[in-house]
Amino acid sequence: MSQSLRPYLQAVRASLTAALALSNFASQTSERHNVPEIEAASSPELLLNPLTVSRNDTERVLIEPSVNSVRISLKVKQADEIEHILVHKFTRFLTQRAESFFILRRKPIEGYDISFLVTNYHTEALLKHKLVDFILQFMEEVDKEISEMKLFLNARARFVAESFLTPFD
Amino acid sequence: MSQINYRTINVDQLDPESSVNFPMETLLPATLPQPETSSDAANIANQVRQLLRGGDAEGALRTALDTAPLGGDDRAKEVHLATVIEVLQGIRQAEMARVLEGVCGADGGAERADCLMKYIYKGMSSSSGPGGAKSAKSVSPQSTGGFSQIQGRNLGEGGGGQQMSVLLNWHEKLVDLTGTGSIVRVMTDRRTV
Repeated sequence: MSQSLRPYLQAVRASLTAALALSNFASQTSERHNVPEIEAASSPELLLNPLTVSRNDTERVLIEPSVNSVRISLKVKQADEIEHILVHKFTRFLTQRAESFFILRRKPIEGYDISFLVTNYHTEALLKHKLVDFILQFMEEVDKEISEMKLFLNARARFVAESFLTPFD
Repeated sequence: MSQINYRTINVDQLDPESSVNFPMETLLPATLPQPETSSDAANIANQVRQLLRGGDAEGALRTALDTAPLGGDDRAKEVHLATVIEVLQGIRQAEMARVLEGVCGADGGAERADCLMKYIYKGMSSSSGPGGAKSAKSVSPQSTGGFSQIQGRNLGEGGGGQQMSVLLNWHEKLVDLTGTGSIVRVMTDRRTV
């Protein structure tokens, strides 16, 4: 693991562990409703101060806590246009299957590539440290995945170009 | 009047008793320090800079954290944030642990630790503002630049990487000292820095 990645992941881990302290909280505006307050934003007192952990301008995590839900948004490193396209395709693939990921949000928030929404029902049903581990593992894997895909793409493009140009040799 | 679509009006906002209109100022303690202006913050910045130049890194950090403009306007907060980040960047990595022990160990050290944590998070969020626009541009330096394989992947030291790694190092050291409690207090404290 590179030198600057470790403190970044450590900071995200500590921030997530602190932020994932959620309790059941019924809606104040409509009876017998129970909605994630970070999305509904029905009262300013229920939203806590958002935390940002960033490694540089292109990689950062936004954690928006509230009384019964936390929204975690990731910005994945994109060094050039190919990576931009790959990240877009990859996150789109995941968000279209959001229901099998439980905590994935269907749409990332503005300025980020992928968002998670953790509610108190998730922290009750799932283990909190495993949730934190999952998000950290995701952050590590997605970088690896993108660079792997880029290498594959380049190799395939070279092969295609070569076989296309052989008749003109 | 007939132009208004009544279905789109959020009636809760018109109700003073509604939770949308919760009076946020009631969550602030009565002992908030006096409001500061940006010129006050600039004066403190000069004092802190003198301490830092004199080699008293611990005193500089302590002064900067004790004089945080909790009741100040946005401009004063910006100026003070720049001061704190300057102090944090001016302290060498080998000295971090010793300075933190000194600043957070003494009387009122827990408040200073919370304040430092607020500044670390604010420092990480604030410089992403203008940087976000810059990185969006740098995605396509020229029309075909994206398809060049020569530069390879830049390994994470993009713009602002230096300042962020300093803040991340401080964050790690501070969490070692105070645990997650100070992060929780950053989230829940309405006295923002």
